[in-house]
Amino acid sequence: MITIIKREILEHLQSLQFVILIVLSILLFSTNGWVTVKKHHERMTRYSDAVTQVAREPSTVQTSLFMHPNPLVLLADGGSEYQPPGYTLGPKGKLNTMPAGPENFKMPAGPELDWAFIIKVVFSLYVLLLAFRGISGEKEAGTLRLVLSYALQRSKLLMSKYISILLTVAIPLVLGALVSLCIVSIFIPEAFSLSIVPRIGLMILLAFFYLSIFAFLGLFVSSTVSRSSVVLLILLAAWILLVVVVPNVSGILSNKLAHVPSEYQTAARVSPILQEQVWGRIDKVKERVKRGELTTEEAIKKETDQAFEEGQEVVRNHYAVYENAMKRRADVARNLSRLSPTALFQYASESLADTGPGCEGRFLEDAKTYSATYDSYVLQKVGRLVGTSYWSFSTDIRLDGKNIFITSPSPQEYQGDKSDFPRFAESAPDLARNMQETFLDLAGLSLWNLISAAMAFWAIWRCDVR
Amino acid sequence: MLKAIVQREILEYLKSSKFLIGLCLTVVLVGMSTFVNIGDYQQRRQDYLDATQNLTEDFGVKIFRKPQILSTLVQGRDRELGSQVDISYLRLPMQTSGYMGEFASQHHRYVSGFTSVDFAFVVRVVLSLMVIFLAYNSISEEMAQGTLRLVLANALPRGQLLFGKFIGGLFIILGCLTIAILVAVLVMVLHPAILLDRETSLRILGMWVISALYLGVFFTLSLLVSTIFNRPSIGLLVLLQVWIVVIVIYPNVSVILSRHLMVLPSREELEDRKRALFEPYERQYKETVEAFQKMVESNEIDLEPSRKNLEVNAQRTELYHRIDGEYSRQLTRQMLFARNIGLLSPSVLYDSVIQRLTGTDIREFDKFMEGVERHWYKDTERAKLMYTDYKAYQEYKMPEFTYTTQSVTESIVSTLPQWIVLFLLSAVFFAGAHAVFMKKSIR
Repeated sequence: MITIIKREILEHLQSLQFVILIVLSILLFSTNGWVTVKKHHERMTRYSDAVTQVAREPSTVQTSLFMHPNPLVLLADGGSEYQPPGYTLGPKGKLNTMPAGPENFKMPAGPELDWAFIIKVVFSLYVLLLAFRGISGEKEAGTLRLVLSYALQRSKLLMSKYISILLTVAIPLVLGALVSLCIVSIFIPEAFSLSIVPRIGLMILLAFFYLSIFAFLGLFVSSTVSRSSVVLLILLAAWILLVVVVPNVSGILSNKLAHVPSEYQTAARVSPILQEQVWGRIDKVKERVKRGELTTEEAIKKETDQAFEEGQEVVRNHYAVYENAMKRRADVARNLSRLSPTALFQYASESLADTGPGCEGRFLEDAKTYSATYDSYVLQKVGRLVGTSYWSFSTDIRLDGKNIFITSPSPQEYQGDKSDFPRFAESAPDLARNMQETFLDLAGLSLWNLISAAMAFWAIWRCDVR
Repeated sequence: MLKAIVQREILEYLKSSKFLIGLCLTVVLVGMSTFVNIGDYQQRRQDYLDATQNLTEDFGVKIFRKPQILSTLVQGRDRELGSQVDISYLRLPMQTSGYMGEFASQHHRYVSGFTSVDFAFVVRVVLSLMVIFLAYNSISEEMAQGTLRLVLANALPRGQLLFGKFIGGLFIILGCLTIAILVAVLVMVLHPAILLDRETSLRILGMWVISALYLGVFFTLSLLVSTIFNRPSIGLLVLLQVWIVVIVIYPNVSVILSRHLMVLPSREELEDRKRALFEPYERQYKETVEAFQKMVESNEIDLEPSRKNLEVNAQRTELYHRIDGEYSRQLTRQMLFARNIGLLSPSVLYDSVIQRLTGTDIREFDKFMEGVERHWYKDTERAKLMYTDYKAYQEYKMPEFTYTTQSVTESIVSTLPQWIVLFLLSAVFFAGAHAVFMKKSIR
């Protein structure tokens, strides 16, 4: 078996595919390192400036919480450009996302050149290119009959081919990864600590776990079909479906499966809700004033404050319902795309790198914890908690022939010393938790490995070597 | 003789499993993606129509962006760019938002990460691969089997054989492309939400031509590689490496390169520029706004402070928009720079032409925003009338929002260099294949 593995590796190393893969790998991984360095520098500068600004100008009206830039976008970017740089936090836990989006919205949206992209697209294709002639090539050349005439089990032949493919791919993969890590560690040494070493190691293991599926698939088709060119055609069709079509088409399919009222429908309801929930309540206060139930300015303002707060809460919930429905739709899209091993690998990589939606979820938990501290600080300084709002309303109420100017309540700025302003601290990424998040994706990848391996073994046992 | 070669080639292609698999995949993908994209377009169009009717603004104007009908075949940027712009004398944004407005809308956030699968995608990825598969062994296979020697032993000029293979292959490729586009058109025609007019049909015809040119590049390249390498498997591997670089890697690298080579000013820099531009008017602005606020607080209505307040605010909005407009042009330049770097890739050329033809590119968006700017001036003039001639203000009918769209001819003319480059690439590859084949030793 070892002899076959050695022979196979030697053949692969001499092949054109391998040479090109080495060159591509070094080019792509070094570009990845270079891009990460630039991106991290820019994000760190923005983050430091923003955090300094918050510390310099603490506010009881609204504060800003920023996400610490993660250097592990190197492994899987996780759509970091579309993630908000942070959230604004007002009293009563009112969290609002900061504007997010790519720096240049006119630029075509392409995938980030991270490790996950290079492995899931380029390496998976090259594994197929190395595997497609594995059995069919030997059959065409007549050597398969010869090899199997020795006391060599077919399963051992298949395993040897499989191991040799993965070992061959390991060379450019590890080499490329080292190049990328060298660039990043030289230019941003502060971003690298011992804590990220296990994540990088796990990422490499995950890559092999993913590529193993394609090696088995390649050998399966190669054992089933006799002509190498047809094998390659079938494998490329499968590659297009698994790597390109399924992960992407699930986005638009989820629109059909997870019904969300369109953004227009949500927007169109805002005005009636404001009318009904805010002005309807204010009208009731006005009627009570007319009936003489409220006789002082203080009593009126107390009632209108409550009416504004309650009304605005309903509108906020209306927005939240839409936002949650959109998140659910995105989850449906992600779950649909999990039919493809490529999507499973992508999501597992994001969890390992602590990027993507999981990372934002952790940040939001921290923000919610901090909001309690912030609220008690505001309460201690200002004496009352008033939530921030998108809107401000004003009206007049007539009491005893005099107009009382009513405005919706807004938080107050404390004018005294704010040196004891509580600082927001983001919790450190937890590898155990991230591993838990990858469980579903790892299970999916295991299933894919199991099925493709079973198919490959079944195909080689039934293969007609004549 | 040429006819016999062409007929044989066509028959061989039709009998091959690669043709059948490629065609089935193409038909299924085009049919499904067009159907799904029509549903998406229908929803966006309905939202647009409802919004135009129902979403009005008490203060300022809301302008809505109409979805493009051909986004059902080429999504381009149509879906991801926003749908509305709110303008008033206080604001003139450089970017569209979703229907929920600039701050609440996160329309782009949840659709990111999933690129579109549409007709253009099928041609760019699936059909280009199929073409490579069909043609990678046109010459080398005959060479390997020894039939090339046999064929050329007859009184058949080499050029004629190559030309015959070219015509035969081209016939099959154009046939596949025609079937794909007919499937897409059929799905569109059968859907009640779609009405194809003459202009749209011409654009679809343009799409067919540019797709044919694009596929022609891969076909002639495959012919060239097939004449260079004697072993078909080596030829196929070379072509696949070229394909992955040209289709998958290079377009993304060009975007990354452009981002890092052409640096954009930061938000802070833009704010500084705005402050500097407005500085000479700052004092007058503050005085006018203070006077207006005093008037509001005193509850005494006076037209003059209101008029002046509107004028200084409109002036500020206009000056700020100069900076924003320049920034927007820089964004376009960066995007064009990425495209120019990517011109070596036929897929970038193809995308730029087909998106222009279908009106789903950034040029369409830029023209829309230019229309928004013109509309802002009209709206501001109307608002000023409120304080100068109230009767005229009431009688003033705001003209409907319009912007200049390109006709089919204009779209073709503006993308002519890309058409020419694609054609030249095909011509050069075919000439290369011819030159190599003429000198090739067939022993």
